[in-house]
Amino acid sequence: MERIPCTGCSLLCDDVLIGTDGIFIDKIYGACLKGKERFDQLAAKNRLTSPMIRKNGKLENVSWDVALERIKQILTDSSKPLLYGFSTSSCEAQLKGITLARKISGFIDSNSIICQGKALNVAKETGMTLTTLTEIINKTDLIILWGSNAAESIPRLLNKILFSRGKFRMTGREIKTIIIIDPVKTASFGVMQIRDVALHIEHGKDLELIRVLKEECCKEGNFPEKEVAGIDKEEFKRLLLNLVGAENGVIFVGQGILRTQSDDNVIRELLELVQIINARQEKGRMSLALLGGHYNMVGFEQVALSITGKNHSLQFSDNKLIETKDTIITKIEKDDFDSSIIVGTDPISHFPFSLSKNMASKPIICIDNRKSATSDIADVILPSAITGIECDGLAYRFDHVPIQLKKVLNPPSGVSTDEEILNQIIQKLDVS
Amino acid sequence: MELYKFLPQTNCKKCGKTCMAFALELLQGKVKISDCTPLIEETKYKEKYEALKELLGSEEGIEKELHIDIDEDLCDGCGICVTCCPVNARYCPPTLSGKAPDVPHDKHQLFEVKDGKCVLLNLEHCRRLEADGRERECHVCEIYCPREAIKILYI
Ligand code: SF4
Ligand code: SF4
Ligand code: SF4
Ligand code: SF4
Repeated sequence: MERIPCTGCSLLCDDVLIGTDGIFIDKIYGACLKGKERFDQLAAKNRLTSPMIRKNGKLENVSWDVALERIKQILTDSSKPLLYGFSTSSCEAQLKGITLARKISGFIDSNSIICQGKALNVAKETGMTLTTLTEIINKTDLIILWGSNAAESIPRLLNKILFSRGKFRMTGREIKTIIIIDPVKTASFGVMQIRDVALHIEHGKDLELIRVLKEECCKEGNFPEKEVAGIDKEEFKRLLLNLVGAENGVIFVGQGILRTQSDDNVIRELLELVQIINARQEKGRMSLALLGGHYNMVGFEQVALSITGKNHSLQFSDNKLIETKDTIITKIEKDDFDSSIIVGTDPISHFPFSLSKNMASKPIICIDNRKSATSDIADVILPSAITGIECDGLAYRFDHVPIQLKKVLNPPSGVSTDEEILNQIIQKLDVS
Repeated sequence: MELYKFLPQTNCKKCGKTCMAFALELLQGKVKISDCTPLIEETKYKEKYEALKELLGSEEGIEKELHIDIDEDLCDGCGICVTCCPVNARYCPPTLSGKAPDVPHDKHQLFEVKDGKCVLLNLEHCRRLEADGRERECHVCEIYCPREAIKILYI
């Protein structure tokens, strides 16, 4: 039995116990169903185990050398390559990805841009009060899920933060209040008790709610006369009293807020609201936590930030980082690329049709451990090891805490880690 | 305790216990309605007696056993039951911070999550069988499971 961090989602639970027979993992204790599925990926039917290239329209198994040769050809012919994905790779591999992007004058972006990346941009200007999981467990008495269905995206989160009995919260669930703000009734509502507050906000009215809260927070004992953003005035009052009355509150910002809004105002004003609350706070504080999906999305931001000063959407040219307002989305929209390297993700099925159509019309180099819509139309496929099981490395938890991943099994023969693969591409490009 | 309402509530101790304790044991099937002699003998309790019989159904008098049923299809292994069960909290320290308990497990541990699903390890140490007083009415696992996968039953 061995304790290893689970790479099923951005909670990176480090208390999972596994037993192996040397080839497979045969016992898993503590991981949720989503985590188990991640471990099951080891022996999945759709596992990629050999390099492939497209010949006469069909994918064929080839040797690493042949595949790398083809990649070299594609990249030499390409002047505007895109690199995308990286949020299910270790930080070491992400670093190699950025090195490769610099070398080939490419544009590199991670999945964070369609998730929490935007929030961090705003935070650069306004600052952001963050917190860590340990602090939440030990001190929090108010938990707000805003546009986040944590029960499904991060199955064990509510267990750890709401039901745990932390040092200063020994009575556990009884002393904690949860407020869920969501237009739809998600699975997360299942944890609510009488004292908790369920707020069915009208779709897209988050900004309106935040603005009224900002105003009302500063006044004493005055409450709006009518409903706000579809929320009944009594419910609104409970929300407000909880917000200003909590000792240590945390607002979990989910996909509902991070993804849908086209402008940054929602997140900006939310950060301002937290500042207003904290300015009045005497005992504790209110903080924010951004809930991304993939386990090392934060890692890419950390790596990119530490070596370039920008946390995503990096455009290189002549070995230098150049200013750009582009993101992976605008690049594809404008058709401003001529090949793409996709690492550990499946944009062809996740992106809207108009984008995936553009992407499919250019050569695609796919590095992944399993078949996907992207690998199905790729020109070259390189099979990768499953990070966190077949290869070690560093990853950052949702709260920006680094967690060391472990290697417990060898990858199948003929399969390499993301880091090695990217390194081999870099080396291949070096030989003339 | 709904059953309590239908007892004489005099605590006459003819059954050897208080009315509240009697109600609990009635719920668990450990005693029969007829063990409360005043209820049957005194005509003023006739209505209560009839209502109680109705409530408990035809299985009156048959020994009922505690079951905790976990619906595998609904459970997603969130581990909330593992954390919130007070018996686990007492004997498995990692659960205090929401972590998975050690393996092999403590003999008192009631729930564990294995291969992504919740498993009931034992029932003997459940508060409904071992504790006294109000603690015996424990049902936190049932009310806190967000998937409504846990049912406490007496069959
Ligand atoms: S919550 Fe996430 S990290 Fe934790 S066990 Fe489940 S999938 Fe793995
Ligand atoms: S015999 Fe009936 S009335 Fe008397 S204490 Fe027991 S339950 Fe109550
Ligand atoms: S609380 Fe419910 S869903 Fe969660 S592990 Fe227990 S039985 Fe499964
Ligand atoms: S009834 Fe209480 S003691 Fe028994 S298993 Fe459920 S939570 Fe644990």
